Amino acid sequence: MKTIGKQDAPRGWPLSPATVRAVLSGHGILGLAFAAIIYLVCLTGTLAVFAHDIARWEQPDAPSITAFAPGALDRAVRSAQESGPAHATLYVSLPSLEEPEASIIAYTPALHREWAPDRNGTLTERRTPIADFLVDLHVALHLPRAWGGFIVGLTGVALLSSLMSGILAHPRIFKDAFHLRRGGTRRVQEADLHNRLGIWALPFHVAIALTGALLGLSTLIVGVLAMLLYRGDTAKVYGLFTEAPPAINAVAAPLPPLEPMLAEARRRGGSATPHQLIIERAGRTDARLTVSSERDRLLVPQDTTIFDVKGNVVKDRHPADLVLGTRMLGGIGQLHFGWFGGLPVRLLYGLLGLALCIVTSRGVTIWLARRRDRGRAVPLWERLWAGIAWGQPLALALVGVTGLAAPAHDGLLIWIWMAATAGSLTIAGAAKGFDASNGAVRVRRLVAASTLALALVYVITRPIGLSGIAMELALLIGAGLLFRHPATKPRREGHAAA
Amino acid sequence: MAALVAVIGGSAGATLLRRAWADRLRERVGLIVSGWAVLAGTVLLDAAWVGRVKGSALAVAGIGVAALIVMFQGRTVRAARAGRSASLAPEPLEGPSKAWRGWLKALLAGPLGMTAAMGIAFCYATWAPGDPRTRIIIGGLLMPIAWALAMTWTLADQRLLRSLAVLLGTTVAGFTLAAMRGLV
Repeated sequence: MKTIGKQDAPRGWPLSPATVRAVLSGHGILGLAFAAIIYLVCLTGTLAVFAHDIARWEQPDAPSITAFAPGALDRAVRSAQESGPAHATLYVSLPSLEEPEASIIAYTPALHREWAPDRNGTLTERRTPIADFLVDLHVALHLPRAWGGFIVGLTGVALLSSLMSGILAHPRIFKDAFHLRRGGTRRVQEADLHNRLGIWALPFHVAIALTGALLGLSTLIVGVLAMLLYRGDTAKVYGLFTEAPPAINAVAAPLPPLEPMLAEARRRGGSATPHQLIIERAGRTDARLTVSSERDRLLVPQDTTIFDVKGNVVKDRHPADLVLGTRMLGGIGQLHFGWFGGLPVRLLYGLLGLALCIVTSRGVTIWLARRRDRGRAVPLWERLWAGIAWGQPLALALVGVTGLAAPAHDGLLIWIWMAATAGSLTIAGAAKGFDASNGAVRVRRLVAASTLALALVYVITRPIGLSGIAMELALLIGAGLLFRHPATKPRREGHAAA
Repeated sequence: MAALVAVIGGSAGATLLRRAWADRLRERVGLIVSGWAVLAGTVLLDAAWVGRVKGSALAVAGIGVAALIVMFQGRTVRAARAGRSASLAPEPLEGPSKAWRGWLKALLAGPLGMTAAMGIAFCYATWAPGDPRTRIIIGGLLMPIAWALAMTWTLADQRLLRSLAVLLGTTVAGFTLAAMRGLV
């Protein structure tokens, strides 16, 4: 039996008390420097997990199908080919029982269009400005992709470093893993919540930060690697992971019938089901058609059958043919966004993403409370942080309201978000009478009201379907929780751990 | 169903660990081992059931949420008191700091940490055994990890010249070795 003093590091802890304090200091500096952007990326990331659900919610009239009627896929692809930008690559997502919708994207680097085909192949233009806005804000902050991706990648590294230093700076992190005290001093309360959420969601948060950092920094990594090894030719690095394009032959040629190709891919794939069809150089003799098929036990499709313009199989690959690196590359995005395993996984990701937002926000609150406890309060920063922590949900709710009310004006959303962000910071900074705790309750109610407004605008502007009802319920529950006062009712006064 | 298994297994494992760590006077080794074993078993079960990567990722997320539920259920609510407990927690190092040290630390944790991490990643990508595609992806994953470690270290270490020397040396050595070898 051994009694452990409160300040002692547990046996085997690798750092001395002085080093722990130094690491904690670095944890604080890094957290403060990146808090706002980590919070924004985490908040939008949490919502981006539900991007497909949000897209279905904001466009309830988009067709929902589980299969195409005979000949409908060919009709849909032909229409997309005619309506889309010239020389576009077509990405066709096939419907299934688990994902009851199809989509066709006609993509060129300069322009892309997206449609949702119905069972007979008739196209409906996809107009999902809210989901697109959220994903783009999360992935690149609406900046040019290379710069935005780098900043988001850097944010992922800062988050990863904060998680590492957070663990190293808390010698009793495991012993205290269930030690959550509410109602005591503000700083202890905030610190407990920050540390407890941080430790139990740690593996998830590390995975998200690492995959996010890699996704964001990939352009930079490939660019520098290419400069080092291939005189700056990034195509050579990307070429290691992609099929070499077929020899150029621009003579016009019609696409082959698509259904026999899917049947052939299904036959070759065994238990794999066709999931996506990519058509490059459609309408030319050198067209290439790639069918990707998915298996239940794999994170991403790993069965690929490639056809030429006559419908002949050119290449056929299955999971056993892929090297580890190729399999990993495919899975990183899915693992990051939680777009595998259906709604249960998305809900788990959503809850843990929310936990990360709270960890980030409370980290700053702890620093502010520590300053206040020591008689060195920084009321301006307290107000500004409230402006960020509550201003961002408010800004995103306003973006949602605008996106629902004017879906054709998607360019407006970024201005709404910027205006709401600037407005919340200006008002918070100027409101000298704002008290951090009481004021936060008022701002929280404002966020709740904006969430209710979002639900209300939806009811006014859209017909309510099944996905609409689910999302409306989620919004109402969210608003209800925000309106509610924080729980302070004692459950276990004098618990052993206290 | 696999998500439900993860949440149930996570709740069971977390409950055992909570009971073990609630006892501040004794090391409850049996409960601790059982708790971790249940959590590990949950990951293995989901991995075997729905696929290695898919099942493990799902289990990690499910266990995280379950453990948070167990933690919130066992929260203690107490009256506000002066910061006795706060004073017992580790405190960060504080004190006057010169501006140039701040800028140098930012340089070390940022650009220099990044180039050193790239040096390590490219060195791995070029010198490690195996297929080049696998080496590039693992090298790519190493880069943010190494950069994050460099950030953690340089922000905590007061000996800035030592950090500067190590990061510069790692950058030069890593890039030189990678350029010498190439992607073979």
